[in-house]
Amino acid sequence: MDPGSDSDLSLDEGNLTVRGRNKAARAKGIDPTKDKGKGKAKDQGYAWEANYTRSWDTVQEDEGGSLQGAVEELMARGRRRRLLAPAAAIRRTIIRHLILLLDLSASMMDRDMRPTRFDLTLEYAREFVTEWFDQNPLGQVGVVAMRGGIGERIGEMSGNPQDVLKALSERHKLEPTGEPSLQNAIDMARSSMSHLPTHSSREILIIFGSLTTVDPGNIFDTLQSCIKDKIRISLVALAAEMKICRELCDKTGGQFGVAMNEGHFKDLLFELIPPPAQRAVARTTGGGTTNPAADLMMMGFPMRLPDTSPPSLCVCHAEMRTAGFLCPRCMAKICDVPTDCDVCGLMIVSSPHLARSYHHLFPVKPYIAVMTLDNAPKPTSICHACSLPFKVQPAASVTDGMSPLGRYRCPTCSNDFCTDCDVFVHDVVHCCPGCEK
Amino acid sequence: MDKASHLSLILDISPSQWHLSASPSNAFPLSFKTFLSHVLTFLNSHIAAMHENSLAVFGALPGKSVMLYSSTDTAEGADVVAADPNAYRPFKLVDSLVMRNIQRELELLGDPEEEAPIALVGALTKALCYINRITHIPTGAATEDPAVLIDPRILILSVSPDLSSSYIPVMNSIFSAQKYKITIDVCKVFGADTVFLQQAAHLTGGSYIYLERRDALLQYLIMSFLPPPAMRQVIAVPKQDKVDFRAACFCHKDIVDIAFVCSVCLSIFCSPVPVCSTCRTKFPIKTLQRLNASRPSLPPSANGTPRPGARQNTPLATSLR
Amino acid sequence: MPTVTEQTDQAQDHTSHALLPFLQSQSQTALTRLYQRPSSCLSIFRLLGAVERQIVMNLLWLESSIPTSTMASWVTRDGKTFFDDAIATLTRLHIMPNPIAKLGLSPAFKTGMRHAVTGGGTSVSFGVPAELDEKRPAPTVEALDAHALERWETILHYMVSSGTGQAPARPSQGVLYLLDRSGLMKPNHGSQLQITSSGFQFLLHTPHAQLWELLLQYLQMVEERQMDLVEVLSFLFMLSTMELGRDYSTESLSVTQKAMLEDLRDYGLIWQRKASSRRFSPTRLATTLTSSLPPLPTATGASAGTGQAQGFIILETNYRLYAYTDNPLQTAVLNLFVTVKSRFPNLVVGSITRDSVRKALANGITADQIISYLTTYAHPQMRKNKPLLPVTVQDQIRLWELERNRVKSQDGYLYTEFASHADYEYVLNYAKQLDVVLWENATKRCFFGTVGGHANIRGFIERRTGGQAGTGR
Repeated sequence: MDPGSDSDLSLDEGNLTVRGRNKAARAKGIDPTKDKGKGKAKDQGYAWEANYTRSWDTVQEDEGGSLQGAVEELMARGRRRRLLAPAAAIRRTIIRHLILLLDLSASMMDRDMRPTRFDLTLEYAREFVTEWFDQNPLGQVGVVAMRGGIGERIGEMSGNPQDVLKALSERHKLEPTGEPSLQNAIDMARSSMSHLPTHSSREILIIFGSLTTVDPGNIFDTLQSCIKDKIRISLVALAAEMKICRELCDKTGGQFGVAMNEGHFKDLLFELIPPPAQRAVARTTGGGTTNPAADLMMMGFPMRLPDTSPPSLCVCHAEMRTAGFLCPRCMAKICDVPTDCDVCGLMIVSSPHLARSYHHLFPVKPYIAVMTLDNAPKPTSICHACSLPFKVQPAASVTDGMSPLGRYRCPTCSNDFCTDCDVFVHDVVHCCPGCEK
Repeated sequence: MDKASHLSLILDISPSQWHLSASPSNAFPLSFKTFLSHVLTFLNSHIAAMHENSLAVFGALPGKSVMLYSSTDTAEGADVVAADPNAYRPFKLVDSLVMRNIQRELELLGDPEEEAPIALVGALTKALCYINRITHIPTGAATEDPAVLIDPRILILSVSPDLSSSYIPVMNSIFSAQKYKITIDVCKVFGADTVFLQQAAHLTGGSYIYLERRDALLQYLIMSFLPPPAMRQVIAVPKQDKVDFRAACFCHKDIVDIAFVCSVCLSIFCSPVPVCSTCRTKFPIKTLQRLNASRPSLPPSANGTPRPGARQNTPLATSLR
Repeated sequence: MPTVTEQTDQAQDHTSHALLPFLQSQSQTALTRLYQRPSSCLSIFRLLGAVERQIVMNLLWLESSIPTSTMASWVTRDGKTFFDDAIATLTRLHIMPNPIAKLGLSPAFKTGMRHAVTGGGTSVSFGVPAELDEKRPAPTVEALDAHALERWETILHYMVSSGTGQAPARPSQGVLYLLDRSGLMKPNHGSQLQITSSGFQFLLHTPHAQLWELLLQYLQMVEERQMDLVEVLSFLFMLSTMELGRDYSTESLSVTQKAMLEDLRDYGLIWQRKASSRRFSPTRLATTLTSSLPPLPTATGASAGTGQAQGFIILETNYRLYAYTDNPLQTAVLNLFVTVKSRFPNLVVGSITRDSVRKALANGITADQIISYLTTYAHPQMRKNKPLLPVTVQDQIRLWELERNRVKSQDGYLYTEFASHADYEYVLNYAKQLDVVLWENATKRCFFGTVGGHANIRGFIERRTGGQAGTGR
């Protein structure tokens, strides 16, 4: 690959490459807003130049040398972003199927990431899988490796994080060797997802360390069939950007990123964990019509038996166990959830798994910044949530979207909240303490 | 291990439930007054353990939640409390302020015809916001010594049954507590087990205790809920024996064990519906017919009723696929 | 003198409070008298470790004692040692009588503690607040802090600058006597007091530890001053449960306690308008006596009111040290182990050098103390680093300390002239089993054993050879 191509790309397709860089800047904890940097796309040079100019550019001191103003500005931006976000419930693909495609070619033994690309990838892949299952409890993950010019199935599609982790922990079986083949591996991944129900997502995540691919045929054919099968390909490159890699991601609606260092690598991976918002393509005629991807599923919520209960046979391993879950329909004992009951076939899930995503469905309405207390007959003196006393004197200068009094009012229950609680309620709790929902 | 800890206590003050609890027909009648005296002693024990321990008390009243006491906001009202040479002043402050505020709230409550549901969610979210406030390091101020950072937990003393309409907010609160590593302990002082609070304790690593001997409330509180989470590594505390993972459906707010779930937004319905009420997705007719055919013939268990011990109505291996 | 345990954050976990060994050495009757006051019970309770506190609480409301095994069944496997230690401590403090079969609190402690928690009883042990006086309102918290700070720094500053030719303000005679008695300072040719090596160590402790070290010394002197120890202790404990910013009446105090007022005023623990005043106010030094964590009293704070929890030292990997302080005491303490390069109105710049550290080591300060001082007072900005202090500097300070200890002497006996190699081996094996061999040389058939092992080895050889074989020194 042409060594100059990286910089060429960043000039031609400024917006695209810059995205990756921006994330690096954010990963350094400088700027939590999303829409920064688009305007700066043009004057961005090389990555090593961009890295350092940002940290103090984004933060402006005021006349007194204080950062207070800058910090408030950042918070205001966060607020505005929330106000802009659609208030209606977003659809997210919650039942996901993912194939993790690991590059196990010889180039993974490079030591530019410590200790080696290979070891680091395995370590992050394990963390990724744990976190992924935490946020997508109903999803399934399979692992495919590419080495020696072919695709190798390492772990079957499974809903149990332990199975996947086990596949990833056998390091001696995964020793990198040979050349990678993107086409072979993607074809293998595609075939293992072809039988999946339509309401679930199909995704491939490639961790790619090479700058070559050894393919038996035309990889663009593979790309076309992936588009047809609605498979979303995301790729994290450890070496440099390759045209075909970006092509794969762009055409299928996935994300592409080049890891600049260990931390950035992890950030790129973990960005792919939250369930993706359902794509507009999926519902061509808009909401309300029959969505072929949607279905109603029957599920059972089990009862968890304590460790101290008398041991009994479980239906999944036929072993004597004390702890376990009881299927609500047939009362069979199961070791772990989520799973399908081996006796009656009911899908058994733990209800907290489902509930974890409900805040996407019912977001708290944005609070309104209180600009003046004149029209309120009897303003409370403390925050309704944390009882912090409000400031009495309004701040002199106020950025847009911030209340000079530090008060934010819920449109439903008309209670006043302080700035910290406003952020905390909307970002973490997802439940207004005043209206209790 | 020797780290200051924060306790946020949530008192369930439901006049009707406390009336039932005090009725002499119970095996161990417990009046609200006796209950409060036990709780106050427990709170004093918490403050006694360490000078730096902090405390907040929230009341969940019918339709309203209030902060009854917090160790950071004692300035107002402190003057009212007379000094007493026989009592440690912080204890005295807690006791009198909590008593005074409960008195005030109960008077405000008046004598309504019908009791509004208990505002447990409000109290719980307030407790979370308060913990967020005291653990949050304000921007600009000096970063605190990590040793000073407290170890927060929430204790809910519940007497009311589950309010199934608050399923989602309760779960959201639980997840935020989980995220911030806040332990939620639950003591069910009176009434039947609550499904949601069991899950709260289970998911946050707290302990759920159903109070059997109500006359020994104080001893229960001290043995199980006084030790901060770090301490529980050394002296074990009783945990709940089983967790009921049932959820409340979105359509009738019933607590169900078998439900129908929308694949797009994961909304829970107690019976097959043609359109998801949350995300407006229409479901295929075929699925509906199939599910209607296979659904259990018993109506879904009603609000708060205990899970039937064994149900043998459904044939095994119903054709789901 | 009981050694003062380090009160740093790290060492906090399992070290017990400095006062506990002293209390344990007291007689049961004295302790029982002490426990009759709820405030003392509460304060001692706070000085206990976490496990001990939980055990006390578990037992507090039980009417009868319970079998040890019942309580032990709650203890996890990992916690067994903590539990046993805790029971032992509680027994030594006579909070629990005879723990062999049954666990229960001693009646005096149980009653006292119950009264403390519920606020009952008529012991008047939490201090009688003074009548409100319009003309003379109670001093503000800031005034009390300033007073405590001034008194405390006077003492420390006097110590640190003794022998440097400066003449700082002298603390009162009582304080000087205490410093002399505690061995922190010694009269040096003439009447001039000179700081000792333990005094240097003392300076690097946290204020909380320093305070207790002095108070313990004060308690040691109580007997010879013919004061009642129980009265003294309970007054200290009463102070620790009082409220900052409130003034209390001296009416209910005993004669001994009234006499103590003067001493405690000198240390900065209490504030009185004048010596004959009938009211007094505890300062922050007093009210935080039983709190084991910072924020401690504002003593040695960068400026009054902000508290010492705010660190001020920045240490770089190149051994340079920046201290944001204009406090002469802190500058003087830093001067003990830092070569100060330049001073600015609010900043001291210096570097840690081999010479400066060796000077400190020569004064009896240990490397660990220097490191723990730097850790305790690290600037908030430094706290973001992990590890907090640069490893290079930490290691180098330790290495400089090791330099001084290249030769270590140890008393012992040399065993030579064994008749045969078998004899030699036989005795050597025996000595090795006792783990008393320091050095051995098989070719010369001799080995060197510690003093402690000599009696055993000698006896062994005599038994073996009937007293003929050659043993020597």
